[in-house]
Parts: sequence; C-alpha cells; structure tokens
Amino acid sequence: MGKWLGLGLVALLVLLGLGAVGSYNSLVRLEQAVDAQWGQVENVYQRRLDLVPNLVATVKGAASFEQQTLTQVIEARAKASQVSLTASRELLEEPAAFQQFQQAQQNLSGALSRLLVTVERYPELRATENFRELQAQLEGTENRIAVERMRFNEAARAFNTRRNSFPTVLFAGFFGRRFAERPYFQAEPGAKTAPEVRF
Amino acid sequence: MHTKARGAGLAAILLGLAALAASFQPPPAPERWVTDTVGFLSEPTRRALDARLERYERDTGRQVIVWIGESTGDVPLEEWAARTFEAWGIGGKGRDDGAALFVFAKDRRLRIEVGYGLEPVVPDAIASRLIQQEAIPRLRAGDPDGAVSATAGALLGALGGETAPPPAGPTVRPSLPALGTGQLILLGVLGLFLLVFLVTHPRMALFLLFQIMSRGGSGGGWRGGGGGGFRGGGGRSGGGGASGSW
Repeated sequence: MGKWLGLGLVALLVLLGLGAVGSYNSLVRLEQAVDAQWGQVENVYQRRLDLVPNLVATVKGAASFEQQTLTQVIEARAKASQVSLTASRELLEEPAAFQQFQQAQQNLSGALSRLLVTVERYPELRATENFRELQAQLEGTENRIAVERMRFNEAARAFNTRRNSFPTVLFAGFFGRRFAERPYFQAEPGAKTAPEVRF
Repeated sequence: MHTKARGAGLAAILLGLAALAASFQPPPAPERWVTDTVGFLSEPTRRALDARLERYERDTGRQVIVWIGESTGDVPLEEWAARTFEAWGIGGKGRDDGAALFVFAKDRRLRIEVGYGLEPVVPDAIASRLIQQEAIPRLRAGDPDGAVSATAGALLGALGGETAPPPAGPTVRPSLPALGTGQLILLGVLGLFLLVFLVTHPRMALFLLFQIMSRGGSGGGWRGGGGGGFRGGGGRSGGGGASGSW
C-alpha cells in the first residue's frame, strides 16, 4: 500500500515537473514577444522626441508666437526623454514606473496637440512648406505610436493570459518579478472621441 | 485553492478582453491588385491599373495594391489600415516592402499605408503630398478614376523601379547578355567535351543535348500558372503613410 502511494507521489512530481518546464518555456517565448514589441514602442516614441526640436525651431521662427505653448512643449519633451532612459526591464515589471512613463508621454501628446491648435491662428506659418511637412511627420508618428501601442497590448495580453492560466499560474510566482503581469497602455483620455471637423 | 480560482477567473476576463480586441474583422484578402467593392472606378481604369500594379510586382517584387470600400465603420481609418495591412500580409515577409491605397467612398476618406520596409523610400511627408496634391483635388472635382490612377501612379513613381509598359503585340525576349572571356573559355571546354563524348557515346550525348535544349526552350516557367491573382507575402506596416479626406 505504502509502496503504491510512494510511486504515485513520484509520478505526480514528475508530471508537475514536466508541466513546469512547459509553462516556463512558453512564458519565455511570450515574454520575448512582449520585449520585442516594447522595443518598437520605444522606437516610435524616440522618433517623436527627435521630431520635437525641429517643430519648435520652425514655430519659433514665426513672428510673435506664443511663448507659453512652446515652453510647455519643451518641458514636456524633457520629461518624456528623461523617462525613456528608464531601463525597459523596470518599466515592464514595475507598474508604477510604467505608469510614470505613460504619463510623461501623454503630457507630451497634450502639449503637442495644444501647439497644433495654437498654430491654427498663424495661417502664414501653416502655409509654409516646412511646417506642412513637419505636421505630416508628426501625424505619422502619432499614428505609429498608436499602432505599436496596440500591438504591445496584444503581446502583453497573450503573455498575461498564459501567465494567469492554470497550471502556469502556480509556477509563475517562483520567479519573482521576472514573470510579473505585463502592464497595458490605457487609451488616452479623449483619444476615442477625437474632434473631427467635416463638411 | 483560492488563488487558483482567482487565477482562472482572471484568465477568463483576459480571454474576454482578447476576444474583444480581436473583434475587428478585416475584409477578405483581395485577389487582385485593384479591388473595387463599391463600383467607384470605371472598369477599364480598374483593369488598366490592376495590370500596371501586377507588372510592378513582377518587376520589383514589391506589392502595391488599391482597395476601395464603403466605410471603416466605427474603427478609425488608421487602425483599420494597419490591422488590415497586417492581416493581408502586403509585401514580403521580413522585407515588409508593400504599400496600399485605401479609399472609402462613403466616408470620403483615403489613406496610403506604407510597409515598414518602404518607410525610408516613401516618408510620411511624401505620402501626405501625394494625397493632398494628386488625390484630393481630383476627387473634389468628381474624377475618381483620375484620382486613383494618378495617386497610385505617383506612388509607384516615388517607389521607383517601374519599367515602361511593354509594347502591345508579341513580347520580345530580352537578348542574352554578352559573355565574358572566362565564360567563353568554359563554354569552349564544355563544347570540346561534348564533341569527344559524341564520338565515344553518341546515344547518351544526344540524349543529354536534347535534355538541355528542351529545358532552355520552355523559358523556365518562372512564376507560372498564368492568371495567378494577388497573394500577400506576410508583410506588415507600422502606421506609416498619410490620410486625407475630401
């Protein structure tokens, strides 16, 4: 009787061990997909950071452009480039750091859209070739950010679904923060209801 | 036990979220380079442009398509374009060298979506200029044929590599390139061998000769299967390009 119990216990342990290995491997695979997609997200945010100085320089050239709007953009950019220096490991594993990253980028989005609204009052600036090109680039960059964020959320969702499903959820905790749930980008307030002017 | 149940519950919620995100259904992948689901273009224009884009892919390996629909519904145009582009796999896998012109007749909006690999060739500023200068004025003037043809043509121009359309009538085979000295010597040696072979084993030599000739005659049959339609190669885009409305 005792022999059978022992044998059963060993079999159970082996089964659990095999399950753990499988879970570990699949988590690593999904984690890599999240990391790769995070790299894309960082790329597009960096692209926007690189674009802002050009935009500021072009707008500054316009006569009597409101200083306050410009200063806000410059400050928001400085903050955003500061948080992009945070190691991606930390950003992905610490929800607070991720929150901060997203907040800083959102502030920059807000400052930039206020800048573009202000530019509406400077038709001669809007008409310049240089500004129109920058505006197209900025729109393209914002769109790229939206696409890469969406794909990041999909990769993170795949990881989290696996991480929190049985039996993986039993093992994931052993590895500390390594397999912590990955954060999601939240829709930016007002993003769903973008003002649209149509005639 | 408690954590297990909670984990399962959470997983169910997450699965639900995933299902929600996956609720976007792109239209079925097109079978031609120009697809007009709403009768926006006249048939001759559609056919001419389709042939032009098919030829462009054959010559350069780059996939450029035009797709005309009614509306993107609740989905923003940009998201629709990026997701559909990925679902159809426009452009080669890994090369991501595809581009698409999406037109929505009811929304009165259009977008050029550029694959990752072509972003350096057609930056957003160029795509935006094509939309603003080639498409919108013609669309506003009520010339959809001209607008789509001119925009797609200008897009090909920006991408480059388009060869002149072949003359109507019998297609001319490209003449063989001139041979270098090394190749000539090699050919001479091979010919000599064949001659010796012909004397020693006449039957086998003739068989070999016949084999080589017949293979050369069939023209290789590259990308054969005539009438093969458009097939995406697994390319992706990352939201590059530009949109506009008229």
